[in-house]
Amino acid sequence: MSLTEAKTATAIRPAVRRRGRSGRAAHSRLSRRRRRAGILLSLPALALVVALIGIPVGQAVYYSMTQWNGITATWIGPSVYTALFKDPIFWRVVENNALLLLAVPFAIGIPLVIAALLNEHVRGWRFFRSVYFLPTAISWVVIGMFAQRFFAATGVLNNLLSHVGFGASATDMLAGEHSALVALAITFIWSMVGTNTIIFLTGMATLDPTLTEAARVDGLSRTQIFFRVTLPLLTRFIQFSFVITVISAFSALFSLIFVMTSGGPGFGTTTLEFFIYQAGFQQVQFGTAALYGVVLFVIMAIAGLVQLRLIKPDDGGGW
Amino acid sequence: MAAIRQSGRNSRLNKKMAIWALFTLMVIIAVVMLYPFWYIIDNAFRSAGQFDRQAGHSLIGWKELFANLPVAAQLLNSTLVCAASIAIILIVSTTAGFAFAKLRYRGSGMVFLLVVSALMVPLQSIIFPEIVNLGNVHLTSSYAGAVLVYAALGTPFATFLMATYYRGISDELIEAAVIDGLGYERTFLQIAIPLSLPAIATVTVLQFIQIWDDLLVALFFLPTNQRTITAGLATLATGRTTSIPPLMAGSLISAIPAIVVYLIFQRHLVKGLTLGMGK
Amino acid sequence: MAQIELESVTKEFPDGTTAVSSLDLAVGDGELLVLVGPSGCGKTTALRMVAGLEDVTSGTISIDGRPVNDVEPRHRDIAMVFQSYALYPHLSVYDNMAFSLKYRRAAKAEIRQRVAEAARILELEPYLQRKPRQLSGGQRQRVAMGRAIVRQPRAFLMDEPLSNLDAKLRVQMRAEIAQLQRSLGTTTIYVTHDQTEAMTLGTRVAVISGGVLQQVAAPQELYRRPANLFVAGFIGSPPMNLIDARLERGGAAGDDAGPVVVFGPHRLAIPPEVVAAHPAFERYLGEAIVLGIRPEHLHDAAIAGGPVIKLPVRLREELGSEVQVHGAIGTAAHVSADAADDLRSLATIVARMDPRTKIAEGETAEIAVDTAELQFFDPASGDSILA
Repeated sequence: MSLTEAKTATAIRPAVRRRGRSGRAAHSRLSRRRRRAGILLSLPALALVVALIGIPVGQAVYYSMTQWNGITATWIGPSVYTALFKDPIFWRVVENNALLLLAVPFAIGIPLVIAALLNEHVRGWRFFRSVYFLPTAISWVVIGMFAQRFFAATGVLNNLLSHVGFGASATDMLAGEHSALVALAITFIWSMVGTNTIIFLTGMATLDPTLTEAARVDGLSRTQIFFRVTLPLLTRFIQFSFVITVISAFSALFSLIFVMTSGGPGFGTTTLEFFIYQAGFQQVQFGTAALYGVVLFVIMAIAGLVQLRLIKPDDGGGW
Repeated sequence: MAAIRQSGRNSRLNKKMAIWALFTLMVIIAVVMLYPFWYIIDNAFRSAGQFDRQAGHSLIGWKELFANLPVAAQLLNSTLVCAASIAIILIVSTTAGFAFAKLRYRGSGMVFLLVVSALMVPLQSIIFPEIVNLGNVHLTSSYAGAVLVYAALGTPFATFLMATYYRGISDELIEAAVIDGLGYERTFLQIAIPLSLPAIATVTVLQFIQIWDDLLVALFFLPTNQRTITAGLATLATGRTTSIPPLMAGSLISAIPAIVVYLIFQRHLVKGLTLGMGK
Repeated sequence: MAQIELESVTKEFPDGTTAVSSLDLAVGDGELLVLVGPSGCGKTTALRMVAGLEDVTSGTISIDGRPVNDVEPRHRDIAMVFQSYALYPHLSVYDNMAFSLKYRRAAKAEIRQRVAEAARILELEPYLQRKPRQLSGGQRQRVAMGRAIVRQPRAFLMDEPLSNLDAKLRVQMRAEIAQLQRSLGTTTIYVTHDQTEAMTLGTRVAVISGGVLQQVAAPQELYRRPANLFVAGFIGSPPMNLIDARLERGGAAGDDAGPVVVFGPHRLAIPPEVVAAHPAFERYLGEAIVLGIRPEHLHDAAIAGGPVIKLPVRLREELGSEVQVHGAIGTAAHVSADAADDLRSLATIVARMDPRTKIAEGETAEIAVDTAELQFFDPASGDSILA
């Protein structure tokens, strides 16, 4: 009742909370129902994910250390990993993934510029926005179908080149190992335009307009404002799109490769994810497929952990 | 004074020039983005000969497409697989999202993290154990296996999105419903679901485009006679040498539903993508 | 209609914080009890325990003599008005008000009649088909009230229902709530952090700080006889002047030897009737005490009589109906738990004076003290020296 009591109470517990949201006393009675409802409602999602993703991950790790054809598995052990790192084919495949990473700066930089253009809100910008976002709705299969025609010997690209007088340099880009990978990378960059432009445009919309206005009053040119004010403020969005782009480059291009090049010529466009398919379906070495799968998973998990840090639940608002 | 006015006129002129330059640039980009669609449409309506000559139009390409691909049946397969998968995703993600946001229990944070972290697993990494598992329980001979895989792949992000949305709903609203006499289950159905329709639309659109456009699951988890249109098209492209026009016609017909959905629900798609996902 | 009783009710959160400790309160049938205190003091947690939205860690809450600790909110037959109003945004005003009745399986005609009645009382009839977002703040507040009224519950629980309104509307709605509660005669617990709201609304007011009940009394009693320094400083605006002082035996000049309160250069003789009412003064003679003087008990000596102290005037504030004069007391002011009050840390006291006063800034004013109204507190415990 006394003030001193009250004082100590606040002194010891400086922040007496008005409401406890997180967690309740373990054995309280009224919250039991709420807890039971919570467990019940979250169970289906958990079951689905554990059964169809969690367990197979464990199996993949196990089978990666076996020789497996889908029916019988012979245990080999962790030595498969040391063997893998000595395997020149593995490094050839990883090289393709590494080369694909070179496309990432373009897949981010071009959308960044496009978003900045859209953000000027010139007449018709909504229409342009719809057009630029359109590739997000198109399947890689369809994109690959066109890309194959585009880069072929008698395709659109060479046609275009001969029209402007470079007819002599006509080549079938999909016929050379490296040029095929370049063609794949260009196609990849084109189809990432939609997603990344969306991310950057959203980012730019969240910026406080008074900041750029202040910079304008301070006498900075538009380019200066873009590089000195807008870009630094977009860091979080750029990191985010970087992660998305890397994840897509490593794990979303199966269909594109399947349609465009089937991994060829040679190992020219065989990335990790595509080699998994080849090992499993063409050579029926499910163990090797699982082994490459684990490597891919580890790379993705690292990217994913970065991503989870970037999409903290609390940042998700903005409805 | 005159100098200032002079520079004012100049800057107005510069501004006009800049806007025109900007506009031209945006038109050029639009052409680059749209050209593939024009190419596909243009060449879908040709015969093989017309394609080689790049002149003249006809419906021969379409005839060839329908002769080589059961288009109608595959469109139906795509629709059914999409509908079933999305239904499962919506059920599990709304319930779990609501539980993680409003009915927290000891360990619910960990369970949430577990579900969402499944986002990091690329299907390629687990595809063979998955195929063998589902084959063992005889689910790869019908839609069921593919539907389950799509549902499991879509659930982590959908749950994340729903939980984020439900966190934005005031706790007082849920408490008001509890005091008004609803149990938690009915509060979920009567209050949470109607309030989260925008988020549900986002999940639906996102998943529709993703599943409709997918090749990997459709190719390996569906029996050959129940393939989706996207898988059908991909196998047609890599199969016996076919001429280009039917492939373009197939591309066009397979892309149209996703484009229509995109154009109608663009707003929802944008929201979902910016909440953290690539395609 | 109901009586609500809280018996040594304690709420501890799993992280170890104690939001409410050993709270005893009894709310009489038809009474409007206000829980008031600074934010984070536990008043809302107490209300939510009564509603059944928070579990009680220990102690008993009973409604009409029946313990309800384990009873679900929906079976307690209480209605709650939330700070954010918690209107269902997807339902019309009518459906919002009818919502709980539908789930209590009331007859259709009954629902219609009750909602119509509530809408009439609250003047919401033109808005019944609108959605909450189409309403103004005041109208939303009315809908929230209406939703509680149609239930005809045993008690209303209101959690800062007016804090989202602008000042003018708040005063108006305050009056409406008071009238409504009186005409319905429904037992009500009302939580607010605004002491003016508490004083004007409450039949009785319970002051809570740090999870501990400080005092529960009728508004006038609370104002005139605060039980401790916290209540003294919390109730009243501007707050009571609190000064570190000493109680000494007077009568050096040989006259009446009654006690004298001394602070800085000032001495004030305590009137015999006050001394008679406080036999405990004997124990405090020669000891430190905290002296409390309400601003309205300090007058311009040129206008009103009484023992006089002389203070240099730091500031004169014109408020129209009164003038507030800030005077330096030449000694340390008492720094209470409510230490944020910078006026007192500047060692000044505030007087509310008749607007005719001619006291000006910079001069040394003669201020008459209404010594019959002085308050005395034990500096160690903070409790009022009552007897």
